[in-house]
Amino acid sequence: MFAFHLQLAEPPAFSLLEKVLVAALTLTSGSLFWRRFRVVLGKILQSKKDPGFSIFPLGRRVADFLWEVVFQVKVIRQRPLPGLAHAAVFWGFCAFALVTLNHFAVGMGFGFLSPEGWFGQFYFDVAAAFALACALGILALFVRRFLVRPGWLGKKLSYESGFIAFLIFVLMATYLAGFFVAEAGAGARALWWAHTLALLTFLPIIPHTKHLHLVLSPATVFLSRGGFSAIPPLAGDEDFGLVSGQDLTRLVTLQAYSCVECGRCTEHCPAANTGKLLNPKEVILNLRSYLNEFGPASEKPLVESLAAPEVPFQCTTCGACEYQCPVGIEHLPILVGLRRGAVNTGEWDDEYGSKLFLGLERGSNPLGIPAAERDKFIQKAGLPFFDGTQEYCLWLGCMGAYDPKGREIVTDLARVLDHLGVTYGVLRKEKCTGDAARRLGNDLVFQQLAEANLEAMAQSEVKKVLSICPHCVRTMRQDWKEFGAPPEAEHHSEFLARVADRLPKQPKEETIVYHDPCYLGRYRDVYEEPRTVVRAAGQLVEAPRSHERSFCCGAGGGLAFLGEETGERVSKVRTAELVATGAATIGTACPFCNSMFRDALAEQGEGAPQLLDIAQLTARALPQSPAS
Amino acid sequence: MKIIVAIKQVPERDAQIRVDAAAHWIDEVGLQWALNESDAYALEEALQLKEKHGGEVIVLTAGPERVGPTIREALAKGADRAIHVDCGDLGARDALGVARLLAAAARPEAADLLLTGLQSDDLGQGQTGVIVAELLGLPHATLILHVEKTDNGLSVKRELEEGWFQQIELPTPAVLTVQSGGSKLRYATLMGIKRAKMKEVRTVTAAELGVDAAPVAVLERVALPQKQKSTQILPGSPKEAAAALVEKLKFEARVL
Repeated sequence: MFAFHLQLAEPPAFSLLEKVLVAALTLTSGSLFWRRFRVVLGKILQSKKDPGFSIFPLGRRVADFLWEVVFQVKVIRQRPLPGLAHAAVFWGFCAFALVTLNHFAVGMGFGFLSPEGWFGQFYFDVAAAFALACALGILALFVRRFLVRPGWLGKKLSYESGFIAFLIFVLMATYLAGFFVAEAGAGARALWWAHTLALLTFLPIIPHTKHLHLVLSPATVFLSRGGFSAIPPLAGDEDFGLVSGQDLTRLVTLQAYSCVECGRCTEHCPAANTGKLLNPKEVILNLRSYLNEFGPASEKPLVESLAAPEVPFQCTTCGACEYQCPVGIEHLPILVGLRRGAVNTGEWDDEYGSKLFLGLERGSNPLGIPAAERDKFIQKAGLPFFDGTQEYCLWLGCMGAYDPKGREIVTDLARVLDHLGVTYGVLRKEKCTGDAARRLGNDLVFQQLAEANLEAMAQSEVKKVLSICPHCVRTMRQDWKEFGAPPEAEHHSEFLARVADRLPKQPKEETIVYHDPCYLGRYRDVYEEPRTVVRAAGQLVEAPRSHERSFCCGAGGGLAFLGEETGERVSKVRTAELVATGAATIGTACPFCNSMFRDALAEQGEGAPQLLDIAQLTARALPQSPAS
Repeated sequence: MKIIVAIKQVPERDAQIRVDAAAHWIDEVGLQWALNESDAYALEEALQLKEKHGGEVIVLTAGPERVGPTIREALAKGADRAIHVDCGDLGARDALGVARLLAAAARPEAADLLLTGLQSDDLGQGQTGVIVAELLGLPHATLILHVEKTDNGLSVKRELEEGWFQQIELPTPAVLTVQSGGSKLRYATLMGIKRAKMKEVRTVTAAELGVDAAPVAVLERVALPQKQKSTQILPGSPKEAAAALVEKLKFEARVL
């Protein structure tokens, strides 16, 4: 009786009573969906407009949409097996759109896809293949969620997810079964009704659960600010960052409702992984609860509802969360937004933070060391001053000017420049780029520093900047743009990779494990250039977590200047991971990473790998200059 | 409580100071300016008193137009309004001259308390606050770390030498010069700066105050300190050398 047919069986014509029933059920299901969805949509539209938002250029948006939504690349690449299972479900749904439309049309008596016509037959067969993949996919996801549950999904089982998985499975099974029953028989009719009821039950559940991401996340991905950690400008005299519901923008609200609770953000968060209170997924879910409870017009402070006041300040701004998020949530503007709300209003009271800000206000560097020490270093290292005739302005930054190891890195980079005959000079005076102020949410100090620097660079006619610090480079290139046109800033890894062929060859025996700095990798997509430099100096070893999945050193987001962290030190965890690769040398490309590892390695004692910046790895092959 | 805080704008801590051609003052071209450090503590003390007891904090400063941002900074941190004595010849005035300006501007306000830093980071004479008190005929105390309002006036903590402190009582009105480090300073915020835009800054000139510039003490010459570096090797056994070193640290360098 249940023989397989290549052709989908369709039920016989429906009676008037059945048609009325279908229409009534569809209307009920649709209105139940709308009743909740309207509320969510209302909250999004009631939120403040995003300052500085523009839909153009569309190219980037279309590309992101195709890449992340249509081809599911982010979903698959970051978690291949569950990602593929998810993609199978998603593509199944896409293929099913036409089938579903036709399904209801058949119920009302004007089906437009005939199983007998060539296109109908072809399409139903294709959809069957997708349905099979989808059914297997949802089965796999069910097994993962309920039977082999990974830790970062949290302990709480979501029975609604189980029910949804069941409904999706029923949808696919009832469709596929249509190939095994007789045309126009009672079996076909029963399947039709089972399929319909599953679908009409599914629809109203969507806006009540995380399955809302089905509807919202394509829009979230398409509309995202783009870039990485794009911190929006403040609008008007009453905008101080995220203080209360009134400060939530449409994008933030849309993102909060898009969260699918997959937990990738928390799985990769250095704070969450070292026993701190910050849990990015919780922050987003609490934001959603806040919106549900108080709405975007509320004056109730966000901070206690979303997280305890100290929590946003545990973020290293490494951006692993934002990078991993498959539904387009931009965590950093939210976390930095909460910091802005606390700092710009003076609510944040932290001994180290206040000291840092007071120092920066008074024109000091973030390390709080007198500028005369920088002058002494420049003199001792024999660095030339920039006079507008040289190709590069060599930017020292606080680490390059004041930190002993940072100075070694700068001196070695200068030796490479000298060897190549590339002209450069350092500025007589430098002010902090404002990286720490920016990430800690002090817009006043950041703006003062950005403007003062832009003016000083324009006066000195600086065109090209070369820096050993990814934080300085990112801040100049991206964050200064809010206040003027920054000079072209380049990280030394980019420069060194470009000239690698012109430098002396080194033996390749030494194993070097390279650590991707967050502000070079995830923030700027510079992964290959530093590796080119490392490969020229030895044998490159990859850390277990590398490239876009690199684990933070713990210094970013201004945390290098704050006090001791709670829980385990992030730097200790990362250093142990790098040491465990067995490499003879740890290669860094950021003076902050370098200083974090330096401290953590000090605990290792004898036998610890050596720690060298890529500039040092390059310069060691140069002939010693007679002066040194 | 109505409190006046007299502040001064001084070259930024890291500024590269050059002496001007006449060697009478520093070359101000290209210099960056900041609020004098101990004045920042005086302001903080005033703001904390206001937070506890209510009232008004008025900042008072003398200087040319460039002091504007420093006034804004003080207003941003929480002062209610400002009086700017506009005078371009601050370098030519002695401490008495500046104190006359400040006292003349402060007198009509009839404040309960006048606070200022114990000395300026540029000239470091430590005179202005005390002279203002004398000109106003008010009791004063110097080197104050902490101010508390009592039923009869004030109770203040003074820093003496060698780790000694003194607790004294004063009636109000009074003048106090505040030492750095007594309290935790607050950082300037964006909200404060935006609110400061709406606050009143009243500008008066020296002529309007009826104060002339003729100094009693004249600054003869300004010079950068001569850099000296000399190394001495102390001979003898480690024990003898150490003893000689202690001797030198005690009586020559006077750091022990």
